Amino acid sequence: MSDLPSDSRSENSDLKIILLTQYKREVEGKMASEDVMIKIDSLTKSFGRIKALNDLNLEIGRGELLGIIGSNGAGKTTTIRIICCILKPDLGDVLVDGHSIQTDPIKIKSMIGYLPEEPNLYERFKARELLRYFAELYGVPKGEIESRIDELLELVGMSDRADDKINTFSKGLRQRVGIARALIHDPPIIIFDEPTMGLDPATANTIRGFIRKLKGKKTIILCTHYMDEAESLCDRVAIVNKGQIIDIGTPEYLESKVHGDIILKVRVNNPQSIDTNKIKSINSVDAFSIDGNEFSVSLNSRKDISQIVDVFGEEVVSVNTKEPTLEDVFINTVK
Amino acid sequence: MKYFSVSDVLEFKLISNCTQQLLGQVKDMNFTTITKWEFKGTLSSRKFLMIFLLQISVLLLMIVVFNSFTANLESENGISLTPSLSGFASMDVQDESGLFIDRLNPEILDVNRSNYNTSMKRMEAGKTTGFLMVPGDVVASINAMEPVNLNLYLDYSDPKSVVVLDEVNSTSKIISTAITASWVNSLSPQNTSTQNFKQQSSGESLPLQIINKAMMAIILFLPILLFGNIIMDSVVGEKERKTAEILIAMPVSHADIIIGKSLASILLIALQVGIWILILLITGFAIKNPLLVYAFILMASVPIVGITTALSVYAKNYKEAGIGISILYIGVAGFLAVPALAYISTRSTFANISPMTVVMRLFSGEVIPLTDYAVTVLFAFIFSFLSYWVAVKLSRRDDVVFGPRPGILRLIWDLISFKKV
Repeated sequence: MSDLPSDSRSENSDLKIILLTQYKREVEGKMASEDVMIKIDSLTKSFGRIKALNDLNLEIGRGELLGIIGSNGAGKTTTIRIICCILKPDLGDVLVDGHSIQTDPIKIKSMIGYLPEEPNLYERFKARELLRYFAELYGVPKGEIESRIDELLELVGMSDRADDKINTFSKGLRQRVGIARALIHDPPIIIFDEPTMGLDPATANTIRGFIRKLKGKKTIILCTHYMDEAESLCDRVAIVNKGQIIDIGTPEYLESKVHGDIILKVRVNNPQSIDTNKIKSINSVDAFSIDGNEFSVSLNSRKDISQIVDVFGEEVVSVNTKEPTLEDVFINTVK
Repeated sequence: MKYFSVSDVLEFKLISNCTQQLLGQVKDMNFTTITKWEFKGTLSSRKFLMIFLLQISVLLLMIVVFNSFTANLESENGISLTPSLSGFASMDVQDESGLFIDRLNPEILDVNRSNYNTSMKRMEAGKTTGFLMVPGDVVASINAMEPVNLNLYLDYSDPKSVVVLDEVNSTSKIISTAITASWVNSLSPQNTSTQNFKQQSSGESLPLQIINKAMMAIILFLPILLFGNIIMDSVVGEKERKTAEILIAMPVSHADIIIGKSLASILLIALQVGIWILILLITGFAIKNPLLVYAFILMASVPIVGITTALSVYAKNYKEAGIGISILYIGVAGFLAVPALAYISTRSTFANISPMTVVMRLFSGEVIPLTDYAVTVLFAFIFSFLSYWVAVKLSRRDDVVFGPRPGILRLIWDLISFKKV
């Protein structure tokens, strides 16, 4: 990537900046204006009678990797389509590096590389031809197009398939070409909408590897259903529900908001025989749920673990402890 | 949502606004990349090559049909659009005057001269279906204005007797009409034409020369209509293949996309029409002013591609676009052909709103006044502007591209109320 920022600063100064930015985001609740790459302001959008976005506000920092998670129809894709100037909001505005989607859509489009959920590409083209077409549309200088295509095909591991037609590619290969297409103009912002959806674990892992390579060098928005993906990749995660951001923060920060420090998973033979009132009466128990033969008990202290296990008595088959994950956060927040 | 007020419209602020927007867009336009790749992509696709070759075959077939049609017109037999039934049924006739026997249609009946005794035997043997006996003094009876009695014997066991009866009845009617007309004409004053008055003939077929020109014009306008499928694929295909999303995410305007795609279609039509004109010239058709003819056909393609694009932008899928375009093209064909054919009889300047009229006149080497050219160009320009304006307006609407799509009445209301969406 020719225009990527050089890595000249020391690790210590990097760490200070990250900590300071994080402090600002989480404690002060907002970023300094020079740190903001994308500012979403009171976005509202309806499709007929369905309100997809309802006064959504969000700020995304320069070089940040923001994850957006939410259930189907929560408004994730609508939000990113509006940022990409594909859809127009009914109300509100989005500022991308100070440019408004209302007045400067062409400028904003040139700053964004967008990978939609489905890697829908022009089937009639060969991979190289497709990248050339989009390079020309993005206005990449003619002299740089071929070298850029070679560089990106190498990055996504598609050099040997460059002259094959798109209609011969599997979904995973199409997604790789889609990533190369989104990066062809070396944009400062990249938006991925469910990039690993429907891919086999190995290909999904490769795609995550590409995203990891770009992390810190570009401002990235990652819409995903996979909590572990958001947890492992994102600097911050925004939870969207019914067209609004209902919570936002680093994965650690969000996880800390889940009831309890630890979750106890107890599998039993006969769940009906367990006296649940005894579990509730223990001081450190915040909440508990039953799923088949398994009890999940959220605790705010580890000291009462043995007391809880005693409640299950001889019915216990297995006992496991687990730290709260983003999935627990999501389920807790959205329910 | 903003609306232009009525006073804005009346004070031409709207027109000025539209013009400024249009000029601004033209200045910043970046449609050439889309045109280049659409053109290149279509040319290299198998689907296009198939359509292209099919169109050439249609042209060659039409040349063959057209040549045999004109040959028939030039021959004394004329041309019959009804299928031949010769050999299907036969009838014996006794007609010394020749009044009936010469007028029975040999394409429908095998007619044999015969007499009563022979024919009765032939009918019994199943060799003929009927026997018509015309009195020997039929002409004298007609001249004396006396009734004529025909005797028709039919073998009703033979289903072909219906055909024989029909033919005898229709021949009787033809003869009766001719006799009546001849009698009426005998009462009319003769030799009415003088130096100052021209006798107007009526009821005769169009002169071959005019049919020739009209047919050639229709043939050359066909490629425009045959390319509807390509235009549809280029626009609706983006929705069907779900590539519209990434195309709209490119740093190009909606006008760039619409103009770029339409221009590629116009270039393909230009290529096809050029080849057709060459083929017609090579196969011996005389086309006067071929370059002007070419220019006017291409000019006609601009609004037609525009309106097809607008319809394709609105269509949800191929099926819907296909139905819409079929209906639309009936109207377009009517708009092209009706004024052109009307011009033959009326010579009205207004008939020049159809480029086909001008092309037909160019074929004949007629000197066309500039005002007539101006009518064609002006109309094509207005129609083009409107169709592309509608296409771009529709393409800017999220609901049209991604749904839920608004109804046509709602869209028309938004367009005529100049609602900014």
